[in-house]
Amino acid sequence: MPLLKAEGITAGYGDTDILHDVHLEVNDGEIVSLIGPNGAGKSTLMKAVFGLIHPRQGSIRFRDKEIAGRSPYDIVKEGMCYVPQVANVFVQLTAEENLEMGGYLLDERLLPERKERVYELFPKLRERRHQRVGKMSGGERQMVAIGSALMLEPELLLLDEPSAGLSPKLVDEIFDNIHHINETGLAVLMVEQNARKSLAMATRGYVLASGQNRVDGTGQALLDDPEVGRLYLGG
Amino acid sequence: MDISQEPDRAPVKRDKRLGERVRDVVQTRAFLLVSIAVVFVALLVLARFQGVSGERLLSLAAWGIMLGGIIGLGSIGLTLVYGVLKFPNFSHGALVTLGAYFTFAFLAWLPQSEPLRPLSFGWEFPVALVLSMPLVGLVAVAVDRAVYRRLRRQNAHLVLFAMASLAMAFFLRSIIYIAWGPDFHFYFPGRANPALELPLNIRVRADQLFILVLALMLMLGVYVLLERTRIGKAMRATADNPELAQVRGINTERVIAWTWLLGGALAAAGGTMYGLSSQLRPEMGFWLLLPMFAAAIMGGIGNPYGALAGALIIGITHQVSTAFLDPTYGPAVAFVLMVIVLLVRPQGLFGRGGG
Amino acid sequence: METLILIKSVLLIIPIVLLLLLLLPARRWRLPMAVVAGVVLAFALSASLPSGILAYSVSFAIMGCVYALLTLGLNIQWGYTGHLNFGVAGFFAVGAFTSALMTVEAPTGIAAQYTQMAFGLGLPFLVGVAAAALVSAVVAFLVAVPVLRLRMDFLAIATIGVAEIIRLIFQNERWLANGPQPLRGIPQPLRCLVETQGCGWLPPWTTTVLEPLTPRDYPLFYLTIISLFVAGAYLLMERACRSPWGRMLRAVRDEEASAAMNGKPITYVRIQSFVVGAVIMGIAGALYAHYTVTIDYSHFHALFATFLVWVMLMLGGSGNNRGAIIGGFIVWGVWSGTAFLANAIEPLLALIADDLPRRAAYFRWLLVALLLAAIVLFRPQGLIREEKRVSRYLRE
Repeated sequence: MPLLKAEGITAGYGDTDILHDVHLEVNDGEIVSLIGPNGAGKSTLMKAVFGLIHPRQGSIRFRDKEIAGRSPYDIVKEGMCYVPQVANVFVQLTAEENLEMGGYLLDERLLPERKERVYELFPKLRERRHQRVGKMSGGERQMVAIGSALMLEPELLLLDEPSAGLSPKLVDEIFDNIHHINETGLAVLMVEQNARKSLAMATRGYVLASGQNRVDGTGQALLDDPEVGRLYLGG
Repeated sequence: MDISQEPDRAPVKRDKRLGERVRDVVQTRAFLLVSIAVVFVALLVLARFQGVSGERLLSLAAWGIMLGGIIGLGSIGLTLVYGVLKFPNFSHGALVTLGAYFTFAFLAWLPQSEPLRPLSFGWEFPVALVLSMPLVGLVAVAVDRAVYRRLRRQNAHLVLFAMASLAMAFFLRSIIYIAWGPDFHFYFPGRANPALELPLNIRVRADQLFILVLALMLMLGVYVLLERTRIGKAMRATADNPELAQVRGINTERVIAWTWLLGGALAAAGGTMYGLSSQLRPEMGFWLLLPMFAAAIMGGIGNPYGALAGALIIGITHQVSTAFLDPTYGPAVAFVLMVIVLLVRPQGLFGRGGG
Repeated sequence: METLILIKSVLLIIPIVLLLLLLLPARRWRLPMAVVAGVVLAFALSASLPSGILAYSVSFAIMGCVYALLTLGLNIQWGYTGHLNFGVAGFFAVGAFTSALMTVEAPTGIAAQYTQMAFGLGLPFLVGVAAAALVSAVVAFLVAVPVLRLRMDFLAIATIGVAEIIRLIFQNERWLANGPQPLRGIPQPLRCLVETQGCGWLPPWTTTVLEPLTPRDYPLFYLTIISLFVAGAYLLMERACRSPWGRMLRAVRDEEASAAMNGKPITYVRIQSFVVGAVIMGIAGALYAHYTVTIDYSHFHALFATFLVWVMLMLGGSGNNRGAIIGGFIVWGVWSGTAFLANAIEPLLALIADDLPRRAAYFRWLLVALLLAAIVLFRPQGLIREEKRVSRYLRE
């Protein structure tokens, strides 16, 4: 049984459909990479999975439970967390408060231990825990964002362009972190502009274009596919 | 508030035109503080010019702090709702009035006790206040459920929220008129509350000191709530980024309900304090609306501490101006301060960024 | 007696024809139809209605016209440009007091002790109206320049403040316009036609013809005057809204960024529309002052002069001038009608509590507040949607 299975998703904003009959699957422990040109509907698919927009048609099942049409704060309880591409931290709150908000659904007694784990993963955050996130750099914000999503110890982590706007060195660091997170047994579904890097790390990948599935396959197979390379990986 | 928005320290090295430089200077916090100070000094000079004694000015300033506390109680709720729901709630003044009248109703119902000298009221007054606060909070929640939540579900535009709140302002006000009539009321008609002589010849009444202490205590409570409790942090998080709050598992509808409850309760406290310091009348909340908005804008919308600071500035300025201006011009004084803030630094004293 | 009805009918023709022109759908036969039906209706009404009811209808229609003007002014600000002006009452008051100060003769002698005013020029009616328009424009400009570049919710707060302060000034400053005391004796245009001595500047036969009219019949003249003002404002607005300027307003309202990128002078345009709207409100104020003869600050309460106008515009349909006028009349009708309702429920209220009957009037507020809330919730586009036709060169 797949962890997440989305079938026949048609969704969009207002009257405009962006996704047409899209499917997607994530299994336990996998890293699944979602790539495609700008405007392909990658972020829209993530939002649809997470209930931020409600799909017009199709089913989204998480651990065989239908979640399409439910609210994000409800979906979180099922064991799936999401890091949006932009505005993914509370800039007015401190780093620590951000983590606490990540663990909003937890029993308060569990918070210190969970925070400790995040600080182990991102030692830099421990130093700046009482700093307001609005004053932090892009890389640190991304750590806060991913760290908050990890607070609930989800089974599946949705990352929307985690490397967007970061310097090459920080990109590598974030990818290392994702890899590390995945090794602890967490499945990851991510959208990435850095298609080569993410496919190299991914178990499987989906290529999306104009709101439709184009190619599916293992990460390596997609990297080797000459057409994918030509069209979506920049030659 | 996206990632690309770096802290505002990074200076851009390029030649600026004189106009831009002037604008950069004008938009700093320091400039705003200086301009408020200038207004204030101008008031003092005007007052001295009219032969107002220093002692009287000090007393006025002391009353101003008290008035600032009252305005602050109202504006905290206003700014929280503004921050979380992103619309100016024009019915907040009506909540203030409603709180004052609810306390009035409870006082009529509770047994009267001996006044706690030198205060003008007995134990029944704080009890009535404590009863009235959550009740107004519940009214605010009910209005939200009946009107604003529907609009949220329709993803309505901000202006529809503002308009609905104007409708609710008149709705609540008409209910107040129907229930209590257009005449003045006093909590304790005819009861004397002589002024105490404090050092520096400051004359304040014990009731006024009570108002100040109560306002400070409630502010402290708000501080603890927002900084130390989970629901308070969730309120700040929801104000900051409602969508992300949902993504993090926060039931934003519940947070919004708590925000209304808190805002309504504080408005009720503000209204009751105002009623105690002068008298009750159906228009009292509308009269406070402008100072409350001015305080919220001055402090930066969504920032309760900023609202309190703004309220103190407005309260003092207002009271000092009564030395030579008709007191009914109070809203005008608040308005002038608000316009200065809007011109100089629309994001408020404690808002971030320039321009 | 017969001549009286004849004269009344003739006086009613213009307002009724204008009303019919507004209500009838735009077809080729609209104008002749409206004229014929208007003449018939005018005669039928003045012949059949008892004079009391006719007089009430006329005064109702005059106030409806005042509100129609206010609503038209708000429509250009809110409906076409998206300005959230919660301070209609302020511009209304400025217009009313300006025109009053321009046209009233300054009192002399003992009267000057009872009526203080900054000046009283005793100028003609039209000069007063023009001055009202001008002063409203200046006030609107002063408000608009600092505030319009900010977020629209700040404009709402600022305008509510401006209106309140304007009201406070007219309440407190005795020297300006008699402070809290009413300012009386605002002259009425063409009033001399119904006075016995007649108008000196008109040929004497007018006095003879209008002989049967008494001063009580004066509102008939005023209705004609004010309905012409409404018609003029309506035509001007329609013209403007179908012009490039009107399209630019809507572009700024709907897609400010792209309007700016297309080289439209956004700030300038927004100020223009705000000022134009305020001018119409100021004219409405002037016409109100000349109709009621006596004004004081309490007439410019936010309820009557801001809130009702918003209900009217929202009901009629923002962005639609026809809807604005119709909404104005409907809500004014509801408001006037609920006065009877309030009277009717008084005995009922007396059963509940002794104090209640005296407060029956406030049930009208309640009703209108609920009406606005209902419009916002269930039909924010109003009765008549915004017309899609944006240019007189386009036919649907």
